[in-house]
Amino acid sequence: MGNFDDFKTRLKIAKSNLKKTDNESSKEASFLGNAFKLGTELVAAVAVGTIIGFILDSWLGTTPWLIVIFFFVGAAAGMLNVIRTAKRMQK
Amino acid sequence: MATNPMHQFNVYRIGPEVKIAGIDISFTNSSLFMLLSAGAICIFLLLGTREKKLIPGKIQLVAEMFYNFIAKMISDTAGSKAKPYFPFIFSLFMFVLFCNMVGMFPYSFTVTSHIIVTLIMAMFIFVAVTIIGFIKHGFKYLKIFVPSGVPVLLLPLITVIEIISYLSRPVSLSVRLFANMMAGHTMLKVFGGFVISLGLLGGWLPLSFSVALTGLEILVAFLQAYVFAILTCIYLNDALNLHH
Repeated sequence: MGNFDDFKTRLKIAKSNLKKTDNESSKEASFLGNAFKLGTELVAAVAVGTIIGFILDSWLGTTPWLIVIFFFVGAAAGMLNVIRTAKRMQK
Repeated sequence: MATNPMHQFNVYRIGPEVKIAGIDISFTNSSLFMLLSAGAICIFLLLGTREKKLIPGKIQLVAEMFYNFIAKMISDTAGSKAKPYFPFIFSLFMFVLFCNMVGMFPYSFTVTSHIIVTLIMAMFIFVAVTIIGFIKHGFKYLKIFVPSGVPVLLLPLITVIEIISYLSRPVSLSVRLFANMMAGHTMLKVFGGFVISLGLLGGWLPLSFSVALTGLEILVAFLQAYVFAILTCIYLNDALNLHH
């Protein structure tokens, strides 16, 4: 019986070790993946904001104003995206 | 011209022209390589699961690695609630990965280097995630646009910013994959062109660059598939577990 308990603890230790190395290797992959994510995250929001501004402008006939406003709102949204991604990276 | 680095991205018809209601749905080289990638996935997974040994063979080992990789990614990023979406994310990952990898063969066509293909996949994910969010939470799902603890005065501005941030998801998802694949493949062909034009005397330097870039491109092909799948998981997580 004592032998069996010994095996159990050994199995537990081996399993926890396995988990540790698993986490480390997947962290490295997600690190590289995150590096690819950040850039487009910023640009995409600016582009979407500008496009929304352009559509609203041609719809409401307020031509340069909304596109200017939405460009900056889009830039803010892009920064929000980057901050969120960066926060997720730190977890 | 074969020396034009953008020539590889041409889509041309294979076989007869098929038109339904004015829309051209002919079979193209792009469709051919999509079918090839899907067929390669099927053959790979069928071979991998054919014998189901306790001690896996080579192909079974790789197939199991892919399974574990995706299963772990889903449980890490989206929790146990996302388990029912495993088949979708697994197929998505495998399709993007195999399209990227098939594109690495010389003379082949890279399906994911066209924005229309990646945008359709991203839009599908975006619409599906939004629908899932509304099914799971009803109109409470709209709360993700209204973060808690914001002064009332700033609320309209923050809401607009949040909506733009939400709408930018499919754009960033599709542009990232398309831009990485297209830029990488263009670069490979440009360096290949240098090898020819510099000849035997000076061609060795761009050739060595080409070899290094091929390695880098294989890494990028895998990473982009990984990023595409993990972002789908993250968006799914936002839809399944509301906590803003």
